[in-house]
Amino acid sequence: MTAIFINGQPVETGEHTTVLQVALANGFYIPHFCWHPELSIVGNCRVCVVEQEGRGVGIACNMPISDGMRVLTDSEPVRAQRKAMLQFILLNHPVDCGICDKAGECALQDYHYAYNGEPALSSDPKLHSTKFFPLSERIILDNERCILCSRCVRFTREVSKSNVLGLEHRGDHMLVRPAEGRTLDDDPYSDNVIDICPVGALLSRSFLYQSRVWYLEPTPSVCPGCARGCTVQLWHRKPEWRLKGLDERHNTRIQRVTPLENPRVNGPWICNKGRDLPTLLDRPRAEQALLKGAPVAMTQAIEAGRTLLDQAGKRVALVSSWGSNEELRAFRNSLGDYFSCFVKADHQPAEGEVVEDDLLIRADKNPNTRAGQDLFGTAAAAIPEDTDLVLVWGEGVDFGTLPRGVKILFLGSWLLPENGHADVFIPISIQTERRGHYTNFEGVVSAFEPCQPRRDGVIDAETLFPLLSAPGGSASGGGAA
Amino acid sequence: MKHLIPEFERLKTRLPPNHDATLLVPCLRRIQEDRGFIDDSDIDGLGEYLGIPRIQIEEVLSFYGMLRRKPIGRWHLQVCRNVSCSMRGAERLIDQLVGKLGVQPGETTSDGRFTLSTVECLGSCGTAPVVMVNEAYHENLSAADLDALLERLD
Amino acid sequence: MTGRKILMDFEITATSHSLDDYRARGGYEALAKALRTMKPREVTQEIVDSGLQGRGGAAFPAGRKWQGIDPDDGQPHYLIANADEGEPGTFKDRWVLEYTPHTLLESMLLSCYALGVRHCFVYIRGEYDVPWRRLDAAVEEAYAAGYFGENILGSDFSCDLFVFRGAGAYVCGEASSLLGSIEGTRAFPRNRPPRMTVRGLYQAPTVVNNVETLSTIAWILRNGAKAFREVGTEKSPGTRLISISGHIARPGVYEVELGYSWARFLHEDCGGVLDGRPLKAVIPGGISSQVLTGKDAKVLTAGEVEGLTLDHEKLRSAGSSLGSGGMIVIAEGTCMVRLLQIMLRFYHHESCGQCTPCREGTGWMHRIIDRIVAGDGRSEDLERLNYIAGFNDGTTICGLGDAAGYAATAMLANFRDEFEYFIEHRRSKFAGNLE
Repeated sequence: MTAIFINGQPVETGEHTTVLQVALANGFYIPHFCWHPELSIVGNCRVCVVEQEGRGVGIACNMPISDGMRVLTDSEPVRAQRKAMLQFILLNHPVDCGICDKAGECALQDYHYAYNGEPALSSDPKLHSTKFFPLSERIILDNERCILCSRCVRFTREVSKSNVLGLEHRGDHMLVRPAEGRTLDDDPYSDNVIDICPVGALLSRSFLYQSRVWYLEPTPSVCPGCARGCTVQLWHRKPEWRLKGLDERHNTRIQRVTPLENPRVNGPWICNKGRDLPTLLDRPRAEQALLKGAPVAMTQAIEAGRTLLDQAGKRVALVSSWGSNEELRAFRNSLGDYFSCFVKADHQPAEGEVVEDDLLIRADKNPNTRAGQDLFGTAAAAIPEDTDLVLVWGEGVDFGTLPRGVKILFLGSWLLPENGHADVFIPISIQTERRGHYTNFEGVVSAFEPCQPRRDGVIDAETLFPLLSAPGGSASGGGAA
Repeated sequence: MKHLIPEFERLKTRLPPNHDATLLVPCLRRIQEDRGFIDDSDIDGLGEYLGIPRIQIEEVLSFYGMLRRKPIGRWHLQVCRNVSCSMRGAERLIDQLVGKLGVQPGETTSDGRFTLSTVECLGSCGTAPVVMVNEAYHENLSAADLDALLERLD
Repeated sequence: MTGRKILMDFEITATSHSLDDYRARGGYEALAKALRTMKPREVTQEIVDSGLQGRGGAAFPAGRKWQGIDPDDGQPHYLIANADEGEPGTFKDRWVLEYTPHTLLESMLLSCYALGVRHCFVYIRGEYDVPWRRLDAAVEEAYAAGYFGENILGSDFSCDLFVFRGAGAYVCGEASSLLGSIEGTRAFPRNRPPRMTVRGLYQAPTVVNNVETLSTIAWILRNGAKAFREVGTEKSPGTRLISISGHIARPGVYEVELGYSWARFLHEDCGGVLDGRPLKAVIPGGISSQVLTGKDAKVLTAGEVEGLTLDHEKLRSAGSSLGSGGMIVIAEGTCMVRLLQIMLRFYHHESCGQCTPCREGTGWMHRIIDRIVAGDGRSEDLERLNYIAGFNDGTTICGLGDAAGYAATAMLANFRDEFEYFIEHRRSKFAGNLE
């Protein structure tokens, strides 16, 4: 086992090959802009300097480990050089933190306070460059804020492989630019460059000027967009920064989605569809139970559902691949014996959407098919003509394809025309309103947490299923909390 | 650029196999020699021929001082203004050219005859000052030599 | 006369660059002999024994560089002759290319044989036209005569050469940056480690040597390492091509035996300072001793020059270096502020922009010196220039940043009064004169 000394303390290097990796893995923070664990080493920012005793100051990201080497991360020469590098980086940076979305989570800002803290050495005019350069419908580039670390360029070259971005010209007029005639709209993973940009150069157009990041907090969740099940963070306003003029729903709106790093599933990346979850989750909700289109109380609807169940002879259930592991188990435990159960695809690939690739995106556009199939098998839905009752859980079923005259018990979350065509419609909660787990296509289980209050008039499926199966009893108590 | 492909193929014979991207700069130079500049269509054609993404070609094009994307004047006058040439009168030559041609460095005369540029060291320090006219070096230039040279360039 | 000759040991005529003339001078005999009688490692050993130091600027022992490569490791290796001669004041490689290109080619063949190289390159700077034409013609002659291609001179040794013309970027003179250029990408210098002899061109072990260094090899193989050791000094064997320019009566390329008196070289061989003016300073080895080293570049004042001999160890002890052999002579009456302005403009223009200190620092220094020259200098400017220069030193990926820094610190250290005068009086002490 190789060991080195960092600031006099012996540390084991493990699998790591560079001083920077070893230091970070052992709790010695070394500031860095251009280095990123998933990208090639370019060593261009020159900020991650350390002193190797007897060998002087060098960059840690490209400093190979040698047994017994002694490294100082905070010696006087290191501090002086880091400070100088920050002076150089800030030379032509506009320092417009006051109007920059990155403020609060900006490496440059943090490092300035931690390692420099002094006013600029230059009082000469700064070089100007392009502001608001559109890289796509989703991203704008501010070249004045860019520190040319090339993380975004390497991302499109090495990770997403779209090869859209490059560095044009040279010297201090070098610019990040897309290839002519191309935009980052060609790259289904483009928004990751916003996250990995260490400064405020790459910004999300949908999040632009929406909120100061320190007013927000993330809730861990799982992207339901495909069977990969990338772990994500759903950012919403902190309760203590609630805006009094807005109602609860607006105060808990999801403002942005970022990856939640997860080596077993998605690494530090997600696709753009994951970023757009708010659009999916902000669709008009069904908040009213219905009997043949007529509004009724939740208790009444559950009672009617149970009656349908009791009266039917032949019953088929189309189980949602968007149900959580907990909900799917609850379904099997409470209702599994009543129905022939089939797992259905709630969502199909949308027009223009990337169907599948070899990075993250899976052709199955549902988060929990795997868990459903583990419980209910992989057979395609077969609904005999003499079926009496079909329970439809979730989206994706065209009622016109069901046998004529069959009774339909529909459990759904969205305001859809089908709701009124079902014999019984019961509105159920969505992922952001409850806790649960999804099992991705490889069998990895990831948890999601609630970040929004459950809508009035809506019930959790997990609560609902036992109520529907309760023999002859009252359905009271199963309503919305 | 398509008509140059047979020439490019010949260049490959002295290169190690499977490193076609090495031909990028040689091909760009050859295209510029042929057309006078590198056109948009050349970038696409070359990218396809060498199997290089367009952005890589744009990066390379913008990196090198000699490669250009737009046509310039018939005679490209490039005056070295580095240390040794400046010590031997280059700055006066530049003033002379600016006065005579009525353009600043980086500009082309309205008749399209001359483009004036200043450049860094051309390796003619021992025969300074030097003006490069298209490909050719004109060294040890006095003011009178320069006037005579301009006369010869139609 | 400037001592014994190794490269300039023939008379230049209209045909002296041709294959016939080169063969008449004994050309390609060393190659024939080596292929017949020597193993590759023996060739390398001869170079190690000769003590040949790199002539590009860093003066690193060439043989030691070569020993980084195992000719029998079964993987491809590459050799690149660095003819991207862009260091201001340097035009010596141009002399080799124009007047004796076959010396380079024979030397490269010997080197390729020693290093197990199947494909080699000459990276010649884009602006060189005549030197390229001469080189290109020589390559075709050599191919036609069977010196390149398959089974050279009936041996098992096969070798191809590709002449790669640059396209106008000074930084390509930095060996690792030139690799990117050949690979068809932006020419960004690369971090070490890995060394190029471990991972260079196309990720394979690669040796990059300067044209003059390589060109010496044919002579060493023809005459032996011992004979080479007898030329020059003990620690700096051989000769150097010195290209001398600026305020000098007879500028040009001279071959100087290492250890030769500098004063004699300047005042006798080169005819002294132009128009008999007093000597003010000398930039001994290119304004940055080529991109590689930088650290050694220093302006020497007239007084320092007088007692020195031209060899690596003496110049190093004087705080400078022979660098790229590009010597610039500066006469009294020259404005050093304006001269530094030209240098800093150059580094700013040529910075590739990859790493922070050089990208920002060269522009920063350039803008400060421009402001001083415009008569708007401030008292804190000199301190600021020293600060920027200091943090360009040793903090960058390649030597360009270092070099820019040294140019500034050297000028400020030696001629601070001129800079202070300029700032205080808002005009040059020497009316901005460069000529």
